[in-house]
Parts: sequence; structure tokens; C-alpha cells
Amino acid sequence: MTDMKLPLAMAELRPALGEILGQGLERAPYFSVLLSSRHGLTIRVDNREERVTERAPSAGTVLSAFDGGTNFERALGGFNLGEIQSAARDLVSGISFQKYTPQPESERRGDFVTLVQVDPLKLSIQEKLDRCRELHHRAKGRDPRIVNVQVIYNELNEHSVFADSSADLAQRVQRVNMFLVVVVAGEGGDVRYDYRAKSGSAGWEVLAWSDEDIQHTVDGALALLSAERIEPGEYRVITTPGVSGTICHESFGHGVETDMFLKERARAAHFIDKTVGSPLVNIADDPSQPGSYGSYFFDDEGHMAAPTQIVEDGVFRRGITDRYSAAALEIPRSANGRRQDYSRKAYARMSNTFFGPGTSTLEDMIAQVDHGIFLDKWSSGMEDPQGWGIQVTCHYGHEIKGGRITDRLFAPIGISGYVPDVLQSITAVSNVLEMDGGTCGKGHKEAVPVASGGPHLLLTARLG
Amino acid sequence: MQHFVNQIVEALKERSDLSGWTVRHIQTRGAQVYAVPQGIESQRAVDNERYIIDVLRSTSTTDGSPAVGSGDASLLPGDDIGRAIDQATLVAGLVANPVYGLPGLAAFPEVPLCDESLQKDASTVMWEVMERVRTAAAKQPDVRLTAAECFGEVRNMHLVNSRGIDAWQESTQIDIEFVLHSRKGDRESETFDELSRRRVVDLDLEAVIEDGARYTLDSLEAEAPASWQGPVVLRKSALTKFLAGGSLNGSVIQNLASASSKYASLSQWEVGKSVFRGEVKGDPLTIWANRVMPFGAASDRFDAEGLPAQRVELIRENVLVTFAASQRYAEYLKIPPTGAFGNIELPPGSTPASTLLAEPYIEIVQFSWFNPDPITGDFATEIRFGYLVENGIRKPFKGGQLLGNYMDALADVHWSEETGFFGSYFGPHTARFNELKIAGQE
Repeated sequence: MTDMKLPLAMAELRPALGEILGQGLERAPYFSVLLSSRHGLTIRVDNREERVTERAPSAGTVLSAFDGGTNFERALGGFNLGEIQSAARDLVSGISFQKYTPQPESERRGDFVTLVQVDPLKLSIQEKLDRCRELHHRAKGRDPRIVNVQVIYNELNEHSVFADSSADLAQRVQRVNMFLVVVVAGEGGDVRYDYRAKSGSAGWEVLAWSDEDIQHTVDGALALLSAERIEPGEYRVITTPGVSGTICHESFGHGVETDMFLKERARAAHFIDKTVGSPLVNIADDPSQPGSYGSYFFDDEGHMAAPTQIVEDGVFRRGITDRYSAAALEIPRSANGRRQDYSRKAYARMSNTFFGPGTSTLEDMIAQVDHGIFLDKWSSGMEDPQGWGIQVTCHYGHEIKGGRITDRLFAPIGISGYVPDVLQSITAVSNVLEMDGGTCGKGHKEAVPVASGGPHLLLTARLG
Repeated sequence: MQHFVNQIVEALKERSDLSGWTVRHIQTRGAQVYAVPQGIESQRAVDNERYIIDVLRSTSTTDGSPAVGSGDASLLPGDDIGRAIDQATLVAGLVANPVYGLPGLAAFPEVPLCDESLQKDASTVMWEVMERVRTAAAKQPDVRLTAAECFGEVRNMHLVNSRGIDAWQESTQIDIEFVLHSRKGDRESETFDELSRRRVVDLDLEAVIEDGARYTLDSLEAEAPASWQGPVVLRKSALTKFLAGGSLNGSVIQNLASASSKYASLSQWEVGKSVFRGEVKGDPLTIWANRVMPFGAASDRFDAEGLPAQRVELIRENVLVTFAASQRYAEYLKIPPTGAFGNIELPPGSTPASTLLAEPYIEIVQFSWFNPDPITGDFATEIRFGYLVENGIRKPFKGGQLLGNYMDALADVHWSEETGFFGSYFGPHTARFNELKIAGQE
């Protein structure tokens, strides 16, 4: 039996959705109902205080009526049947819909739940707090220069119910992440920090911290006390999976969201079936990837999760869609219609986006670099789908000299350049695939949980 | 649903195990209009209503010293009040932090926060704003509007706490973003802009779109910049991003001047000492955190804790005067509580803007995303679009990275005597940073 743990008000409303759909479909060519509840918990433990807080919850209903030209929506807080029936009547009665025949869709029915081994909803808050305290305790005394250690645990519990004329779907998606932040102060009072995160669409089983994980974070923070600024220029670079994923996310992730094609904002629209990178480059988006932080079973527009091959052997194949852009561009849909929450519209958004692995070993790749930079850790990125410029900022990177990584550290490091040039320069791809969880915005808003990753890449890029 | 607030308050008053509580009833209603080149992509009406309960509970540390724990819970109308309070109280009992309290009753200033037309009919107003955007863009030759989003929201908050605060505030918020696109042969360019204001009248859409159209056309001619070290000018929206941060990140000033950062040892600033690590070569820096700015995007009458809005002098002529502090961190650091940060305000400079534009200089019009490290202030940020200005010629460029450190940059800057209001920032509209580095093509 699937343990959906649907909020009671959602569970009680679900049987009435057929009737609400009927109301909408009396006038609208296409009509759907989404019930969405997102809540969670944040625990913060540091050297001086502790906090347990609710993550700002959202719970509401989206009624969507679509006529092929405009998507009309009414979004209401909560799950009150009377209010929703009234809103559905008002929504469709006030609109003169144009004639439109939606693309037929297969029947989609089912209830889906993220597989977890240690279910966060079955652990008490006290148990979770104690686990955070234990990690904090293990990290805080490792060096006298540590002035603070922060442990931050986030738990996101998402429930959705979606119904249209061919779908009756429900899902419970469970996401967790945990950050360890080590803050150190140097002799001159300079403050530096390093961090490490673990995440997944999973339970506490993915939040295990080894002593090596902790020490690596402490060592990273201490090393930053003597970091230098890099001399700007073009370098041979090896990226870790996290940095690779950020490059992927900002270039052929955002750059292939097809609502941006519709808005003439994406240069990729002119490159379908054309070469955009070295033959070693394969990029995919896959919301069905088990355990990754950006996973789900169906998107916020009721499309079932499945992988999309975006770049195949260096050739751009297709983008990722929401319902509206797929209909307007007359292209097949992918399961990427996502909302920040019920109060916002759905856009074409990424889920788990990654470079496919290759065949090289990391050791062989490092040995190929006489003078270059090993980019250890990303801190942020920003898209430029129209200009195909790239901005990825790395928290730090190490020097590579004579085929070996040295102790010389540079921070922060910005990667810039023209996306196809960077992708064309890739000459080796490692045989691993690792994913980092995070939050993605559309421009400067519309935050959704995603993951990005890949293997190590050997490439050429401008650093500054 | 005033009745429901009263029910929550009465239930909280009966809890002898709580040392303090706050209830916020937040109602929002809004309209959203989205345009694509083919027409209106989507129109939405959005309502939300919720109640947030924050509680404090006396606890003790492992050695028996008095301590306090906090907990919170959210409710939708009609939810089980007792269960929510139990949950918040349970959580509060799990932690033992140094003792602090809640703000007491205070006079709340009257801060203008509302657009009356939006209060009356958000949907009609946002349609009108969208039409203004489309009309203004249509007047620009060789440029097309390819995307626009217009959001308007009316927000009401009623706050009650156990120390006698019982206060209301209403505010409006308008968020606009748009994209202008141009094409010449096989070259394409676009500019993205966004505005957040309280009132429609403060949206200078036509001027912003005219500027955006010029940048879009100039961007068609732009090449990658050469490397540069020297004066860099920021104006209006680019300067606002630099000083006030954006929707994704606060500013470095906001972080380093916050009492919570100080308490967590993330800020090394000290009251009474310079905020700079070296010599100040430019104009002295004075900054206010201002929540009483009329129609400021981050203004309010009171913040989420119930602390009244005020204009706080944070930095006076390079010296830190105080930290921006919530009640909790004010008590921890033994400084006056100031409440949420709010808007950022700088005094006028002493130099005419025209003098600050002495050639040669680089003007950065748009960053990809100006996101300096919030603790160290170091930045390496891509430039989306700018100009090299020399010999009377404005040569457009795109790409390259601005490199430096936030506080070092502020230690060598001159501010214009002309000021402007930019939503969350009020102050000089032009700044000339005397010595910044841009990594461009060799």
C-alpha cells in the first residue's frame, strides 16, 4: 500500500475533482486541477545557538483553462471545496475561449511515493535535532582557528494531486539536504569558510557524514586563509562533477527551456540537430532519476517523468518543455512544467540535468595537464540563453602543475566564455556521475529544487 | 477572518508553558499577466491567507542555566489551532538558547506603502501596466518586446503579540520584468530589466524601456572587452544591484552590518571602528538602513517581529555606528533593536554626475548577476553589457569579468550629488569606482 501521507484536506477533496473538472470542461477546451502542498522543516545548529523552524509552507489549488492561445488560471490558498467550485465556475464563465482541440494524451493514473530508507516523517524532531548536534560536535573542535560551525538541515515534503480529462495522479516527493559550514578566522581577522552538502530525493540514509567529509571541509576553510586571486586568462581546467553540473545547468539547461524559444530568448532554437560541443558531450535532463534531489514522478502539468536527451555526442537534439510552449511550438512535451508553488505559473524548468559520463579516469585527466586549474567547488551560476555567455563562480580551485594538483589555492574563480567554445574544448570526460542538489531560479525568481552534475571534464576556459 | 485570529490569541493566552508568542495573519490577493510575442500567454488571479504562530518557551541548558526555545507553526483558515500550538510549543522545548524576549508595545510610524488603484482592482491595473509596457516597446524602432511579466499584489498583515502589540499594515507591491530583442543579419541581442515598486506612479516604464531599447541596439555592435584597470561607473539600476543586492541575494553591507552575522562570527566589523580594512581614498561612506522611506520596496510600519520601522544610521563617515538587529540579536549583543534592514540609503555626494563621467571610463550597464561573496566581499562577476567611453565615443561591449572586493571598491569611490529613488535604494544615482579590474580578452 502506498503511504501517501496526503494532507487531510487534500485527501478529502480528491474525490470531488471529477466534478470540478466537469464544470471547467463545460466551457474550456482544456481544463485541469492541481492540488499542491509544500511544507518542511529547517534545523540549524551552530556554536552559539540552535533553531528549529518550519519552512514557509504553501498549500493551494490551481485551476487551469487553456484554449491554445492563453492559459487562464485561478490560484486559491487551501482546499475548500465550495470556494474551488465557485472559482471554477467564475473562471470559465468569464472567458470567451477560442476553438481548440488539445493533443490527445494517454491515460495516466496512479499514486507515487519517493522511496526512502529512513523516512524523515517517521523520525521525531528531537531525533533529527540530535543528529545535527552530533555532526556539529564532531566538527567544531578540530582546529583552534574555527570560529563557528553551522549544520543546516532542510526537509521538503511535497504532495501533489493532478487531474485532467485523462489523468488522476498523486505523488509524495520527499527531499532532504544538509550543509556543513566551517567558518575560520586568520591572524589578521580575515574570515573564510568552506562548506559541503549532501542531498537527495530520499531519507536520512543519504545524510551520513564520514570523518573524511568533515575534515575535508575544515581543511578547505583553513586553506582559504592563504588563497590567492587567480591571474585572469585562459587555462586548461578540470572541473569536478559539481562544477561540470553547474556549467551544464547554465548552458544547455536554461538555454534549452522551450518557453525561452517561444520568447525568442534562446540561441539554441537555431541549433537543433547541429553540433554545439565536442563529440564527448552528452547532456540529459531526467526527473525520473532515482534519488536525485530534483526528481519527481509527474510534473505540475500532469506529464509523467521520463528522461530527455538534450545533447547527443555533441549535437543538440531537443529542449525541455512546459505545456504552453510545447503546444505553441508544436513539439513533443517533456515532463518539465514546474511551478515554484501554487501561487506561480508553470514554466519549462529543469529537474536533474547532467553531462553523461565518459571513459577517462580522473588520474589520467590530471596527468594530461602541465599547467592548469582544478576547479573544486562551485558557488553560483547565471544563465544567458540568448547570448550564450557563461557565468559560473567557483568557491575555489587548485593549481595543477606538471600533471599534479598542488597546494596552491585560488578563490574565488569566475568562469566566463562562449558556451559552444567551452563545450567544444572538452577533450576528456571521466567515468563517474555525481549529482549535487540545489535550488534553481528562472532569471531572478521562481525557485524550484533541482540537481545538476556529471563527470569530471577536461576543458579550456577563461578564468578570472 | 478576524474571528480566527481571536481564537488563536485566546488559545495562546491559556498556555502557561509559553513565555511569549506572536500571531501574524497574512492575506494577499494579486493579479499576474504574462506576455509572449504572440500575445498574452497567461493571466492569473491569486489569493492566499495564512496564520503564523511564533512561540517562546523557557527552557534550561544542560548545566541548569535559564534559556529559551522558539517554535513556529502555520495554519490555513479552519485548521486545528490546538494542534498547531502544541507543535510549536513542542519544538520550542527542544532547544536552549540564551534568553531573549519579544518586542513590546511601541508607536508605529505611518509609512505610505499603498497604491490606491491597486488596492481597488489589481487585475485591471496590471492589465493597464502590461499595455503601457507593450505600447512603450512598440514605439522603439528596430526593437521588439519578446516577454513581459507584470505582477501586482495587495498584502495585509495583522500582528498580535503577548507584550501588547496589536497592529495592522497594508501594502502593495508591483513587480515588472521585460525583455527587449533586436536582430541585425544573423546577430541577435536582448536586454532584460526588472522593476519593483509600491506604486504604479513610481514605474518610469517609458524611460526605462527607451534606455533598454538603446542598450539592445548597441548590444548588436558589442564585442568582448579588452582587459581594463581603472575607473568603472555604475548608474541607476546597476548601482542599485551593487548596493541593495537583488531578489536572489542581499547585499554585502546588509550581511556584514547585521547583528546575527556578528553574533555568528561571520562579520568582523566593530562598532566605533572603520568598516574598511585599509585607507579610504574616495568619498567617506555613510549608510542608513531605512524602513520609513515612503513607498520604498522594503519599507513597512513594523517588521515580522513587530519592531517599528525606523531610519537607522549604520555607518557614519566610514565608522560603524550600530548593527541592524532583530530583538533577539539586539539582546544578545546588548545593542538597541532596529528590526529588519529595509531599504538602503546613502547621502548625496559632493561631485556633479557630469564630472564623474570624465573620460576614459568603463560603464557597466548590466551584470549577469552581481553576487559577491556575502562574507569576504570578493567578486568575479560576468558583465552582460557595458560601454568603454573614451575620446567622446561610447563603445559597447559584452562579456568580461569584473574582479575585486566589495569593501575595497567602496573605499575608493566618488558619489554624485544628484540622487534618485530606485525602489529599495535611495541615494546618488551615479558612482565612479576609481580602480576596478576587468578581465577581458588579452
